Amino acid sequence: MITMSDTVKKIEKLGTEITKQIDEGKEPNYSIPVRSLGNVYYDKVSKTIKLGDKESKRHFLNIGHARKFMQTILVASEVKNLIKHGATTSIRDLYYALKHTIEGTKENVFEDQSESDPLIEDLEASLGLLREELHLTASTKGIIAGKMTVKDGKDTIDLARMGSGGWGVPSNVEPEKIEIKDLDAEYVLFIEKDAVWKRFNEDQFWKKHKCIIITGKGQPARAERRLVQRLNKEYKLPVYALMDADPWGMYIYSVIKQGSISLSYSEEKLATPDTKYLGLMISDVDKYKIPSNVTIKLNLQDIKRIKEMKEYPWFKKDKGWQKEFDLMKQRNYKLELEALSRKGIRFITEEYLPHKIETRDFLG
Amino acid sequence: MSEDKFSASFKESSVAEFFKRNRQMLGLYGKLRSLTTVIAEYVCNSLDACEEAGILPEIIVKIIPLGEEHYEVHVIDNGPGIPKDKVGKALGKLLAGTKFHRLIQTRGQQGIGASGCILLSQVTTGKPSKIISGTGGKPLYMELEIDTAKNEPKIKLQKELDYDYRGIAVKSEFKEVNYQNSSQNALEYLKRTAIANPHATIKYTDPFNNTYIFERSSGYIPKTPKEIKPHIKCITVDELKTLAKDHSKKTIAGLFKQEFDRVGDKVIKDINSLLDFDISKVTMSKANWEMFEKVVKAIDKTKTFAPRLDTLIPIEEKYLEESLRKIIKPEFLSVLSRKPTVYHGGYPIQIEVAIAYGGDAGQTLANNEKKLELMRFANRAPLLFDAGACGITKAVNSIEWRRYGLKDIENLPLSILVNLSSVHIPYTSAGKQAIAEEEEIVEEIRKALMTAARSLGLHLSKKRHLETKMKKRGIFLNYAKEVAEGLHLLTDRNKKELIDKLEDIITKKLQIEEMNEQEESEDISEGEIPEDAEEKKSKGKKDKITDYFEADGDHDE
Repeated sequence: MITMSDTVKKIEKLGTEITKQIDEGKEPNYSIPVRSLGNVYYDKVSKTIKLGDKESKRHFLNIGHARKFMQTILVASEVKNLIKHGATTSIRDLYYALKHTIEGTKENVFEDQSESDPLIEDLEASLGLLREELHLTASTKGIIAGKMTVKDGKDTIDLARMGSGGWGVPSNVEPEKIEIKDLDAEYVLFIEKDAVWKRFNEDQFWKKHKCIIITGKGQPARAERRLVQRLNKEYKLPVYALMDADPWGMYIYSVIKQGSISLSYSEEKLATPDTKYLGLMISDVDKYKIPSNVTIKLNLQDIKRIKEMKEYPWFKKDKGWQKEFDLMKQRNYKLELEALSRKGIRFITEEYLPHKIETRDFLG
Repeated sequence: MSEDKFSASFKESSVAEFFKRNRQMLGLYGKLRSLTTVIAEYVCNSLDACEEAGILPEIIVKIIPLGEEHYEVHVIDNGPGIPKDKVGKALGKLLAGTKFHRLIQTRGQQGIGASGCILLSQVTTGKPSKIISGTGGKPLYMELEIDTAKNEPKIKLQKELDYDYRGIAVKSEFKEVNYQNSSQNALEYLKRTAIANPHATIKYTDPFNNTYIFERSSGYIPKTPKEIKPHIKCITVDELKTLAKDHSKKTIAGLFKQEFDRVGDKVIKDINSLLDFDISKVTMSKANWEMFEKVVKAIDKTKTFAPRLDTLIPIEEKYLEESLRKIIKPEFLSVLSRKPTVYHGGYPIQIEVAIAYGGDAGQTLANNEKKLELMRFANRAPLLFDAGACGITKAVNSIEWRRYGLKDIENLPLSILVNLSSVHIPYTSAGKQAIAEEEEIVEEIRKALMTAARSLGLHLSKKRHLETKMKKRGIFLNYAKEVAEGLHLLTDRNKKELIDKLEDIITKKLQIEEMNEQEESEDISEGEIPEDAEEKKSKGKKDKITDYFEADGDHDE
């Protein structure tokens, strides 16, 4: 673990490198790792996406870079301030703390939070620090339920007694913040959609099937992924993903399993390569006799995404996935989890899922 | 052909009556337009007279309000004056001017101008015009009317004045006319006259007692215009028929050789080879309409010498540039003279254009905003009316200004000037305010304007570039303050010191950039703007500014 003063030193170094350039009369610039498809690779050892070593320079005197340069320096200075005062703040608070109008202009240093968020990621990547180490938190939206007790600061929380809403996953789930105490589950079910998660919670699926159910309400935030990774690594629980049978759902699965390009610098701490894809699959339509009138026609974007995903290294070598993608393209339709309700409201929890797990009918 | 004989061929008694009833043919209609036309006619006569006599013109114009729609106009020049025995006839007899039916480049074209104004004064006020004419020495004063039944001058009072004066001074009263702030008033007319006649000094006092002085910007005396014989390619059947009355005994060939420019035996032979009769044998009186038709067709197919081009008197690029700089003070100016050429096979023409941007260029609207202004000239005389019907307007409208980086041209502070010089301006009507849409003329105007438009496009793109550069510096300097603040928090360094150092770095960087650009600039800028040849002639694609110009027609009707 990096100590607080190490973090401060790393941030200060960014400042001193730039002041050195200024003292030498050079045009100020700093390097950041390139966070794009061209600079990430699949690491066979960790089985996650990793950031390559390509760097790009951001120049203050390049009119296209100047604003971001200025903003990055401001973000860095505010982060230093936070750490020095031992405070933690959300990335939204950081945005508001920094936001002001540039003297003599009508221009704000940040017009929108979408300007400051990626710079925080840049800073994390270039300093090799985690967001938590920068004393920053992102807002979370994930919920979790199951036979599990956690200690969050002084509070002990029983996740089997959280009612219909479940427990909201906090942004920092590192072991020193969240201690997992009693765990009585055989697997983790990572559900794409909030509505489907609620069906599973209402039916107390986790009780009957001894599992933990979690959703990130769409694309999950870091905290949900980190918590699932901990359950997998520390408690050896298998992780199953339940997604829509469409390119977006499959992409979310891919992020849970291998990570995303924009966070490629810290995927080792976020991704869960053991995750299995339980469903929904296009091949389930025949297998479970799902009426074809609940399918949705693919759009051009979908077809483009399928083509791209077929080429992802972890999908490319998997015959099951290649077949699934080909079938989706051939049938030219996609399928939502809710479509299973056509077969009865509890079909998904009482027939579909148990059968899937029992027959180990999933993709890797 | 003598003008006396020609005018005699009209029934004299009907001439004055006819024009009295058909004022619009003279442009003497509409309350604003009439007053502007009066000034225009008097001033044109003065300028033409000075030019023929080789005098640098100094013209004083005054409009004095006498009552509602009632004004007195004074025009005083320093020209050669009119000999005492001819003053009455020159000014008091319609169609009796010295210029009628001559092929000579003058501003006015027919001898109806000044006398038409005197007639207008007479029919609206019942008063004579007061004329002073001096040719050196003691001048003659007279009060002049026109006998509209006989088309003869009627001199009411005549006396010699007791001082020396050379020139013509006219004082006429008018009713049923009006003066207003307008792009079609006398001020605008005189301003444009000064622009196109840089050798003239014009002093003008408007009805509100404001005085404007347009000093001459060049001391040159323009060439004296030469009279030329008409070119045979311009002849029409109707004109041949008319000429037959005065030249009945001449053969057709004889008439051609004597009355037309550059017709020799070779041309006659070539014409004859296309005919079933011999024009060297047939006299004018013996030839009928059909024969004349055949002759005209044969001339069309015959190769003739091009007309002489040295008869034209353009403003000339350098003088036009001087006058525009002085009067409009533009930020950018492009002046261009095309080489003389011919239209209709026989009439020499020359086109001059200018594009002025910024400064006092463009028409100023009531809210002080500027919009595009088109200044049309024929033989250096401004054309203020009938813009929509004019070939110059159509030529301007047919240009794809956007191709030259000129977007939204209607709302630019831009003055476009076009001057057509010719011994025979093809006016669309006797009001002499619109030029016919002759293909060769329109094409010449287009070519000249496209070249000028390209230079303006380049200027504006350079200007935008400069503005961007200034903006860039501003952005860097503003951000530098923020960067210094951030660095101060990160490193505890002094903020002021960092700002100063950053400013030096910014300045150095932009200087280097500029040096690099200067080396490359020529190639880049040339590439941005299309060449003449690329401009499509398609009329469908033109910028939609037609409406604007057509709306700029006569306001006061």
